[in-house]
Amino acid sequence: MTTSNRTRLAVLGTLADLHREPLVYDLARLRSLATDLAPDLLCAEITSDAWERHDLSAATLEVREALAPIEAATDIVVVPVAASRKSYAEFLPANPWRRTLVHALDRLLRWGGRKASRPEAVNGVLFGAFCHTVCWLAERLWTAEQRAAWEAQNRAIVENIVQAVQRDPGRRVLVAVQCQRVHRLRSWLPAYHELLEIVDYREL
Amino acid sequence: MNQALVTVAAGAHYPLDRAALAALITTLPGLRVTPPESDPPPRVLVWDPGSPRLDVLPPLGPDTALLLVVGAMERVAMPLGVAGLFSKDETPEALGIAIRQVARGDEYLSPTLALALLEATGSSVPLAAVDPRSLPEREQEILALLAEGLSNKAIAARLYLSVRTVEGHLASLYARLGVHSRTEAALLAVQRRLAPSN
Repeated sequence: MTTSNRTRLAVLGTLADLHREPLVYDLARLRSLATDLAPDLLCAEITSDAWERHDLSAATLEVREALAPIEAATDIVVVPVAASRKSYAEFLPANPWRRTLVHALDRLLRWGGRKASRPEAVNGVLFGAFCHTVCWLAERLWTAEQRAAWEAQNRAIVENIVQAVQRDPGRRVLVAVQCQRVHRLRSWLPAYHELLEIVDYREL
Repeated sequence: MNQALVTVAAGAHYPLDRAALAALITTLPGLRVTPPESDPPPRVLVWDPGSPRLDVLPPLGPDTALLLVVGAMERVAMPLGVAGLFSKDETPEALGIAIRQVARGDEYLSPTLALALLEATGSSVPLAAVDPRSLPEREQEILALLAEGLSNKAIAARLYLSVRTVEGHLASLYARLGVHSRTEAALLAVQRRLAPSN
């Protein structure tokens, strides 16, 4: 495969449920950002089963209220890449004190999200390190099975993204996922460098 | 890399229809409404004839694509150079897709109009020398969806391919089949039973 056939791919972190709050990086900002970037393919967190049934009830807020409406009104094609309906917030340990700590870390992440509410900040180095650290701590409080399930979910998302790239090589692909996944995806996707080139979303 | 806005002029036989059309297009992402006589001319003129007569259609520059908005059963006098026919039974969002498709130099035909056209012209198009079933699998798949009246965007969404990739496959299959339009290609598909005829 030649270099020119490589897909340009950017991973854009979203704020998931925090998008409900009055932030600069709100759903309208996410909508206009994705529309302006005009990727050929937009990988979004919804299962293919739900997407094909037009069932957005279990989709993340940003898919339901920002990304799906973009697909309906532009040439951007949404590719569902979620492997499971279970969201990050549903990974809660049964142990009460561990659960309390996870809730506290979630509040800390939400605080960080409010402070870094612009897409440039949410996808920047500082928030990336903060989010990764908070999530790493929360995941230490999960059970081993929960950690394995989260890992498998992210691996499956990467596989689905790679399949989309292989199906239609040489295109511009935007992957919009909740910020908790961004670190993993950005570290795993470069392994497929023969197929794709990871770029900053502003350079897509 | 940002997508350039597509300039669109809205026109209609009746002023109220024109205002409604312009207001709707303003809400669609990636489009900018300009007057028909603007310089440079709009990339697309969306026109709702409102009546079977098209005598009030403004003069069109060579770079302006004409998209007619019609009722499914309307019989409209067809001016030369129509790039697309958009049925009023489609959604407002589909209008944005149709505008972008004709702005790229492609044709657009709403599914209900495509089916009506196939019924009306069913026996008048000669069979191609090449059997559509000999096309590569992906092109057969795209041809079958085209024959169902799907737009390029709808085909792309169904197959999780980009619109540009679908356009590439269409150009290839037109060349292989020796046809010059999606209507001819769709008719061949129906004749060769690649797609249902209703």
